[in-house]
Amino acid sequence: MTASGMTEAAGVAPPRHRPGALGDWRREAALWLRSTSAVASVALLAALATVAVALGLGEVARQHAAIERVLDLQASEEAAIAGFAEDAGSAAYYTAHATWDSPSPLAFAALGQRDAAPWVLRVRALALEGQLYESDAQNPELALPGRFDLAFVLVYLAPLVLVALLHDLKSAEREAGRLGLLLSMPGATRRLWVARAGVRAIAVLLALAVPFGFGAALAGAGLLETLGGLGVMVGTVAFWTLLAVLIALRGRRSAVNAAILCAAWFALVLVGPAAGHLAVNAAVPIPSGAELARENREAVHGAWDRPRAETMARFVSSHPEWAPYAAIDRPFHWKWYFAFQQLGDEHVAERSRAYRDGIERRERLAGAIGWVLPPIGLQRALHRLARTDVAAQLEYQERIRAFHAELRAFYWPYVFREQPFGPADFARTPRFASVR
Amino acid sequence: MRRALVVAGGELRLLLRSRLAAIGLGALLALSAVAAWTSSAHVAREHATRAAHQAAVDRLFDDQPARHPHRVVHYGTYAHRPLGPLAAFDPGVDPYTGTTLYLEGHRQNVAAFGAARESSGLLRFGQLTPAFVLQTLAPLLLVFLGYASVARERESGGLRQLYSHGARAVDVLAGKALALGAVALAVALPAGIALVAAAASVPAEVPAALAVAAGHLLYLAAWVLAIAAISAFAGTARTALVALVAAWTVAVVVLPRVAAEYALRAEPLPSRVETDLRLQAELRELGDSHDANDPFFAEFRRRTLERYGVERIEDLPVNFRGLVSAEGETLTSRLFVEYAERLAAIQRAQRARVDAFAWATPALAVRRASMTAAGSDLENHLRFLAQAEAYRYDLIQRLNRLHADGVAYADDVQRSRDAAAERRTRVVASHWQQLPDFRFEPASPRERLAAARPALLALGGWVAALIGVLALAARRLERTA
Repeated sequence: MTASGMTEAAGVAPPRHRPGALGDWRREAALWLRSTSAVASVALLAALATVAVALGLGEVARQHAAIERVLDLQASEEAAIAGFAEDAGSAAYYTAHATWDSPSPLAFAALGQRDAAPWVLRVRALALEGQLYESDAQNPELALPGRFDLAFVLVYLAPLVLVALLHDLKSAEREAGRLGLLLSMPGATRRLWVARAGVRAIAVLLALAVPFGFGAALAGAGLLETLGGLGVMVGTVAFWTLLAVLIALRGRRSAVNAAILCAAWFALVLVGPAAGHLAVNAAVPIPSGAELARENREAVHGAWDRPRAETMARFVSSHPEWAPYAAIDRPFHWKWYFAFQQLGDEHVAERSRAYRDGIERRERLAGAIGWVLPPIGLQRALHRLARTDVAAQLEYQERIRAFHAELRAFYWPYVFREQPFGPADFARTPRFASVR
Repeated sequence: MRRALVVAGGELRLLLRSRLAAIGLGALLALSAVAAWTSSAHVAREHATRAAHQAAVDRLFDDQPARHPHRVVHYGTYAHRPLGPLAAFDPGVDPYTGTTLYLEGHRQNVAAFGAARESSGLLRFGQLTPAFVLQTLAPLLLVFLGYASVARERESGGLRQLYSHGARAVDVLAGKALALGAVALAVALPAGIALVAAAASVPAEVPAALAVAAGHLLYLAAWVLAIAAISAFAGTARTALVALVAAWTVAVVVLPRVAAEYALRAEPLPSRVETDLRLQAELRELGDSHDANDPFFAEFRRRTLERYGVERIEDLPVNFRGLVSAEGETLTSRLFVEYAERLAAIQRAQRARVDAFAWATPALAVRRASMTAAGSDLENHLRFLAQAEAYRYDLIQRLNRLHADGVAYADDVQRSRDAAAERRTRVVASHWQQLPDFRFEPASPRERLAAARPALLALGGWVAALIGVLALAARRLERTA
């Protein structure tokens, strides 16, 4: 919003009274286009949105490439393990299987949590709770300010441009001494304000929607989700336009209008969410993750100090299908080893669910706050469409859990039935299908 | 100077009479107080929780029953990163880093469990902390309170009236800046009290706290000067407002993100999984301690037998398996450290790219000065990781030594098949208490102060430059009035 003197558009002759709403809109559009500073501010917004889309597409490409590189490296890692794994137990012990969460087509528009939560994770068929919460070694100082993506432009910058364009909707006319004349034309004023605000709002919407549309097409996004994204943009622009028009028509001075609208932005986008975060975390305490991991470790490693038979009996009681194969005759057997890994996860299952549920409840409560702070609610909707929100991070964890269950279901028959396990069997290990 | 004070007094009286200004100021003071209160309560709670976690894992380690030392290598322990005393003022990257690091043999883990992954998406809009209030919110309030200070006088002809009383443009601008500066000090007060309270508990932190305070005062001074200057340059109050809000948006909201995007691209950081896989591949090249026929370990065996002058492993006075574990750990740890240092070097290079932007926006300069002096920056986390790795290596090697000296080789090779041998490989529990506990040693206040100096200098540069701009504005104002 470098533009000053948004009144240039109105600095021409008072509008000739032409009947028909369409005429109003056409005239207002022509007038608006003559205001260099107003057009410049929208052009700047369009440029920033384009840069944000380009950066987002670049980041998504980088993530795809990183996943490809991991899968390549993973293949040679697995080949090496196939060379020395002598049985199913050692193959399962040594192999960390790759899981990944490919960015969705719309991720370019809202990168969301993907810089704070990992999108590639390798898991072994051992106790999962000790592996599931690993983070990525990304630079936390770069996560701190947030990303320069379209969601950022939409929630932080677009409203300020709208405020700059709309705060003097009425006051500019008064300050130019034309308001009296305008008000003397009965019935026309309302149409005039609608047309004038509409033209400006549409200009801002186009500045956001056109780069978004190009980005969505390049990313191969579906029609429905693209329309959803456009809906978020329409909603955001409509919200700020309505708010600005409401204030602008109250009849205060331009500067006061601008200050009030900036203060509203300040409250809705800066203070509201920060206070909301405090309230949400205070309202929903979650069990300690450190304690969860520690309890899991105690349960797993404690097995070495407990009678083997006791461990097997407990395992069989929750997995009766393996009862016929549960006898062990020596201190170390893979059956026993995988049994206590599983029991370790079962030991903390409740705590783990509570941990997950707590995060989910926090996210749901934040969604409720989105209804009080519409711009925040709309931005959250965009992150949902892009599948880059906290819920998406939890969904990825669920998919890892399902994959881990597949791995166990694959290895256990070999281990418990003591079947030979060769390279051909190893080649059949489940693959993480990155399905949405 | 006296005239400037008169102008300042007038401006302050006007501000206090304005309902909008009073509401804005009151709201920010309330926010600042809430931020100070909740942040210090949060940090005190976190501090106690992490200390309790550390004590719990230390106790669990000491209370282990008789175990085979290699079991304990896999059992490992946890390192919990404590929060520094000034984190209540500026928690920095704390929410974006894991706080719990699992230390075990053969592996180097990453820290898990950070606030960013345990909170709703609202966290990404910023945390209500004293640092956030001063760095992000306060400048915008100052903009609202001060944008019209000079422009208003010019529009209403008040400037000429002031001149007729003998005041010069310099006096007017200095007075307006002084009035806004007084407001800035009032705004900073609750945060300042929070800082004093945080530092009071640890007297050694006072110099660091002073640096944090100096950084924020310079930062607010820069905004006060910029606001007065732009209010003077702008033709109308509204132009001043638009220009100032634009400046705030660019400096506080846009440039920090631009700097981060630039750093990410200029210094790409591989994912942790990719690094891990490359490390494993390199390790396979070097040698595999699980493979008895591996050339590296065959050579190690030959050297060991030669050193002790025996023919067979069974004749060694120590347990060969313990020696192999120790040798394997040396090998892997060397790579762990090498890879970790490479990742740390990339992150430091990214930081340097961002820091270069401190000359483009004072918001990045104050963030750097504040986080660094408070000890809540990237460097503190890297230091934690490095110390935890050093501790891990030492602990594992002590356990491997115990394995070599305290467990008979004959029992060791039989333990998977023979229950009696397995029992004999267990080392008495009293050993676990003799092993040292992990204690994080943060950088001293003096070191942090030195690290924060360039950012403080940049802030000083901003203030000096803006004083120059204000002087220019005064000269122009003198001519146009």
